[in-house]
Amino acid sequence: MPVEAVRDETIGVPDGEQARQTMTTTTTRTPLLAMRQICKRFNAVEALVDVDFEVYAHEVVALVGDNGAGKSTLAKVISGVLQPDSGLIEMEGETVAIPSPSAAHDLGVATVFQDLALCDNLDVTANLFLGREMTGRALLADAQMEDAAKKILRDLSSRIPSVRTQLRDLSAGQRQSVAIARTLIGSPRIVVLDEPTASLSVAQTAEVLTHIQGLRDLGLGVVLISHNMNDVRAVSDRIEVLRHGRNNGSFDASSASYEAILAAITGATHQGYRSVPRFA
Amino acid sequence: MNAIPALKDVFTRGQRQSDPDTPRAPEQGGEPRVVGAVDALRDVFTRNLRQSGIYIAFVAIIGLFAWLTDGLLLSPDNVTNVFLQYGYILILAIGMVIVIIAGHIDLSVGSVVALTGAVSATFVIKQGHPSWLGVLVALGVGLLVGAWQGFWVAFVGIPAFIVTLAGMLLFRGMTLRVLHNISLSPFPTDYHNIAGGFINGVLGGNGYDVFTLVVAAVGIAGYAYSQLRNRRGRIRYQQSVEAFPLFVLRLVLVAVVVMALAWQLAHSRGLPVVLIILGILIMTYSVITTKTVFGRHVYAIGGNLSAAQLSGVKVKKVNFWIFVNMGFLAAVAGVVFSSRSNGSQPAAGQMFELDAIAACFIGGASTTGGVGRVTGAMVGGLIMGVMSNGMQLMGIDQSVQQMIKGLVLLLAVAFDIYNKRRAGAAR
Repeated sequence: MPVEAVRDETIGVPDGEQARQTMTTTTTRTPLLAMRQICKRFNAVEALVDVDFEVYAHEVVALVGDNGAGKSTLAKVISGVLQPDSGLIEMEGETVAIPSPSAAHDLGVATVFQDLALCDNLDVTANLFLGREMTGRALLADAQMEDAAKKILRDLSSRIPSVRTQLRDLSAGQRQSVAIARTLIGSPRIVVLDEPTASLSVAQTAEVLTHIQGLRDLGLGVVLISHNMNDVRAVSDRIEVLRHGRNNGSFDASSASYEAILAAITGATHQGYRSVPRFA
Repeated sequence: MNAIPALKDVFTRGQRQSDPDTPRAPEQGGEPRVVGAVDALRDVFTRNLRQSGIYIAFVAIIGLFAWLTDGLLLSPDNVTNVFLQYGYILILAIGMVIVIIAGHIDLSVGSVVALTGAVSATFVIKQGHPSWLGVLVALGVGLLVGAWQGFWVAFVGIPAFIVTLAGMLLFRGMTLRVLHNISLSPFPTDYHNIAGGFINGVLGGNGYDVFTLVVAAVGIAGYAYSQLRNRRGRIRYQQSVEAFPLFVLRLVLVAVVVMALAWQLAHSRGLPVVLIILGILIMTYSVITTKTVFGRHVYAIGGNLSAAQLSGVKVKKVNFWIFVNMGFLAAVAGVVFSSRSNGSQPAAGQMFELDAIAACFIGGASTTGGVGRVTGAMVGGLIMGVMSNGMQLMGIDQSVQQMIKGLVLLLAVAFDIYNKRRAGAAR
C-alpha cells in the first residue's frame, strides 16, 4: 500500500511536530498544492476573486470565513468539482488542470464533502472503495478490499464494528470516520475536509480531530474547512481567512489571537495573502 | 409485577450473550452470536422473516394453490407450463430489477418484446431467412432500442419514466408498422423449439429424464456451497447469522423444492429449453450485480446519486449500459415469447412491463432505488406466475384475478416498508 510507504518516512520520529521540522530543513519547500489568482463567478456572483492558497506536506491548513465567503467553492475547485474561470493550479511546482473528481483523485487529492458522499445501501468496504474498486479476473476482489479497509480503519484507529456493516447502521461519527478513511484509498497527497465536524457530538468531534492529526502525521497536506474556531485552533498549523471571495489574512495557528482571526473573518481588518516562509 | 424484573433479566442476558466481545461460556460452542431465547424468537420474527419472508410467502402460496386445485398445480405438465408461460416475464424482471436498483423504471419493455418479435417474424416467416438470423436481428434491434433510451436517460438527462413512456408508444407504433397490422405465423420448427423445446433423454432414463435430475442436483450443491461460504464469511466478521438449525432448514427446504420440481419436470416432457436460458441468465446476472464493478456502481447510483458522482463513478456511462442491457433482455424475451406463441401479433407483450415491475417489487426491490436482488425478482415473478396459473386452473374470473394480483403487489410492498420501519425503530 502506498499509505504504508508514506508512513515509513515518519518511523523513528515519534512526534508529528518533529517530523515536520525535519521536512522543513531537508527539502526545498515547494508547496504540494499552490493556487494562484483563482477566480470563479456564478453568473453575477463573484465566488472567488484572485484567491491565493498553498498547502504543504505535513501541515493542516484551516480555511475559515463567514457563510458565503467562498470556502466550499475553493474546496470544490481543488477537488475538481468546479472549474476556475481563471488562475493557476500547481502541484509540486507543476501546472495542472483538475477537470473532474476522478482527475483530482489521480493527482492525489482526496475530498470529504460537506454532504457526506457515502452510499447508505452499501457496506463500509464498498463505500471506501467506491469508484476505485480493486478487481481480479474481471470480478471484484472483495477479500482484498476488506483486508485493505481493515488496515486503513486501524491506521485511523476508528471504531467501526465491522467492515461489512451497512452505512445506514452507523452513527454520524462513525460515518464521518468512514468518509475520512475513504480519502486514504489510493495514494493521496492532499486531503480536503469540508466541515467534517458540523453535525457531530462533542465526543465524535474529538474523534474526528484525532483522525485529522493522524492524516498530518502520515505526511499529508490537510485542508480543513470549518466554522468552529475551537476545532480549527485545536488541530491546524496555519489559518487562512476568506472574506467575500478574497484572501483576508493568514495566521500562524499557534500564535494568532482569537480576536485577530475573528476580526479578519468579520471584515474589521483587511489584509492580503501572506506568502511563505511561515515556519522560519 | 414480579414478572417484569425477570423478563428484563432475560432480555439483558440475551443481549449480553449476543455481544461478540463478551467471552463465551464453553458450552455455547463456536457460534459467534449465541442468542438468548427471547432474542432467538425475536430474530425469527424480524430479521429472518425479512430475509426469508419472500421465500416463506412463495412456499405458502404454492401450498395454498396446490391445496385449492387438489394438487393439479404441482402436476408435472402444469409445473412445466408455469415456466413456459412466465419465462419471458422472468427474463424481463432480470433486466428490470437492475433498472429499478439504479432508481429508474422502464415502461417500454412490453412494446420492445412486441417489436423484436415482429422483426424476427418478418425476417424468418415473411422473408424466409434462417431462424438464427432472425434471432440475431431481434437481439440487434433490442440493443439499438436500449442504446436509444439509454442515450436520452443518461446523456440528455430526461427521467427514465418519460423516456420509456415515450418508448412504449414509439415501439408499439413501430411494431404495427413492421407487421402492417397483421399477425405472422407459424415459425419453422427450429425457431419454435427455442421456447417450446425440451431436452429429454440425453443421459437416458426410462420416462424419467436423468439429465434434468443431474442438473438440479448440481444446482443445489452449488447453492449450498455458496451459502455456506457466505455464512462462514459473516461469522468471521462477527456478523449476525441465523441460527444453524434454521440455516440447515432453509437449505433443506430449497433442496427439497428444487428436487421436487426437477422430478416433476423429469417425468413430464424433460427440461424445457426456456428453463436453461433462464438459469444461465439468472446465474450470469447474479454475478454481474453482486461481483462486478458495474453492479457495485448500479447499487451506488441508486443509493446516493451525488455520492456516486463525487466518488468518480461514471454515472452517465453506467446508466447508458443499464438501458442497453434492458433492451437486450427485452429482445431475448421477445424471441422467447414469439417462439412460444409461434408467431408475432401486433398486440403482443402488452402489460408485460407491469408484470416485470411487479415481480421486482414483490421480490424486495425498493421504490427509491439502491435495494433489490436478481434472485428476489425471480421469486417475485414466480409468485405472480404461480398465482395466475393457480387461479386459471381454478377457473377464477379474469377480473377477480387482476384484483387479487393488484392487492398482492400492494401488500408485498406494504409489508416491506413496515419491516424497514420496524428495523429502523429497533436500532
